[in-house]
Amino acid sequence: MSDSERKTEPVSKRRRNFLIGSAMTGVVPVIGWAGQAQATTQAAPVDARAALNVALRVNGRLHQVQVDARMTLLDALREEIGLTGAKKGCDHGQCGACTVLVDGRRELACLTLAVAAQGREVVTIEGLAAPDGTLHPMQEAFVAQDAFQCGYCTPGQILSAISCVHEGHATSPDQVREYMSGNLCRCAAYPNIVAAVLQASQQMGD
Amino acid sequence: MTPYSRPASLPETLFLLAQGQPLLLAGGTDVYPATQAQWLTRPVIDISAVPELHGITRGPDGLRIGAGTTWAAIAAAALPPACNALQQAAQEVGGRQIQNAGTIGGNLCNASPAADGVPPLLVLDAVIELASPRGLRRVALADFLTGPRQTLRAADEVMVAVIVPDAALSGASHFVKLGARAYLVISIAMVAVRLLVVAGRVQQAALAVGACSAVARRLPGAEQALLGLAPQETAAAIDAAQVAAALAPLDDLRATAVYRAEAAAELLRRALATLAQDHAG
Ligand SMILES: Cc1cc2nc3c(=O)[nH]c(=O)nc-3n(C[C@H](O)[C@H](O)[C@H](O)COP(=O)(O)OP(=O)(O)OC[C@H]3O[C@@H](n4cnc5c(N)ncnc54)[C@H](O)[C@@H]3O)c2cc1C
Ligand code: FES
Ligand code: FES
Repeated sequence: MSDSERKTEPVSKRRRNFLIGSAMTGVVPVIGWAGQAQATTQAAPVDARAALNVALRVNGRLHQVQVDARMTLLDALREEIGLTGAKKGCDHGQCGACTVLVDGRRELACLTLAVAAQGREVVTIEGLAAPDGTLHPMQEAFVAQDAFQCGYCTPGQILSAISCVHEGHATSPDQVREYMSGNLCRCAAYPNIVAAVLQASQQMGD
Repeated sequence: MTPYSRPASLPETLFLLAQGQPLLLAGGTDVYPATQAQWLTRPVIDISAVPELHGITRGPDGLRIGAGTTWAAIAAAALPPACNALQQAAQEVGGRQIQNAGTIGGNLCNASPAADGVPPLLVLDAVIELASPRGLRRVALADFLTGPRQTLRAADEVMVAVIVPDAALSGASHFVKLGARAYLVISIAMVAVRLLVVAGRVQQAALAVGACSAVARRLPGAEQALLGLAPQETAAAIDAAQVAAALAPLDDLRATAVYRAEAAAELLRRALATLAQDHAG
């Protein structure tokens, strides 16, 4: 991810401020995990006190964000912090595109509340390369094995794959397929992904 | 009440649960996808950090699995062969990310007819422990699940643990799930079987089928028919008509009732054949 992308002022901030403003007038669309489609059609009472100050540690840096209790970690990362590496493929836990590491374990950021990630260590694809730009062995392996086409699923695949290796579930092609089954690839780069995970697992020495 | 709280003990959880109508959140893997936006207008009690809900221990009353135990932890635990079906199911609940977050208590309290945890626990005669300000109570899992997404859990109760009595920890079990594809699917049908074989003959048999009736069921008639047989004879002893009559399966978008009944009988045969192989080898 480029620095300029990181610093982009999150678009949702404006929308969220607008919503908090309209809370005073009585009816507020519910937004958050359920996706924007509902946001415009559903109305429900919202407790304005639901705005919370949350400190999220992401890729070793502490970010102070204001979220409401309903916001997912995925939305907080993408729209509040501006880290757009974690992708929103389905927002329903089914595709794995939003996979991040939380305290070292792979989790789905679309099924995790941002407030629940407080006090935990979050790693996204942006946090993998060394400060000098040296890629993580898993990133290297994905490049070497040509393990992507459009690249949409790739950040989630790479984080999931790192966990897969740490768990000790990357010892054979079949095992990789089984333990990477939570990450779908619409371009069906699966054979190359399996090859990349196996290659990196040797370099990672786990 | 604050919109989000993460209590650090069971008493604190029960205190919070008694206020208003909060929503308990364990792994969140059922809550998020299954419901629409309204739910989060209720305060959330995140029970993932409640120590009393964690851990797998063997005690005087049997095997105790904390309700907050994740599927990944269940799959990794050292458990007797009677729990093989439960551990196999643990590895088929979604993908690994779901298994890292999703809990056994969430699976049971959500009470989907397709919950993969239920058949393996039914063949283990599992009992549920619930806590409320009134104290603790225990209910057999078979009674706890009363319908699709319906349980005996009262609004102020937290599921604390699943208990498998010692008597049901004998023998070995096996789980087979049928979905539309190999991974990441909601079951069309799934079965768990547990056999205790003594001197080459079936002494105890437990069969359970899920996703083929409003609530997953044991099949006492079919179990009876297996007693005294050699393990190798059990698969052929499954009577498809008897299985269908006991289940009264459902038609839905994933499969028709007729298909489900046939699938259930076939899965039972395959599970029994696998167990028989283990006895032969
Ligand atoms: C992509 C995907 C795939 C899935 N695949 C499968 C599958 O193959 N098989 C399967 O069976 N399920 C599957 N599920 C469903 C789900 O992951 C499991 O049922 C899981 O075990 C739910 O646990 P949880 O801790 O996430 O529950 P939560 O979502 O946290 O809670 C579920 C319900 O139980 C209540 N609850 C939770 N814990 C307690 C407690 N201790 N006491 C009282 N009430 C409680 C909650 O209030 C809520 O109503 C899948 C889900 C997703 C998103
Ligand atoms: S966006 Fe989270 S799993 Fe698809
Ligand atoms: S590379 Fe396109 S979705 Fe995987």
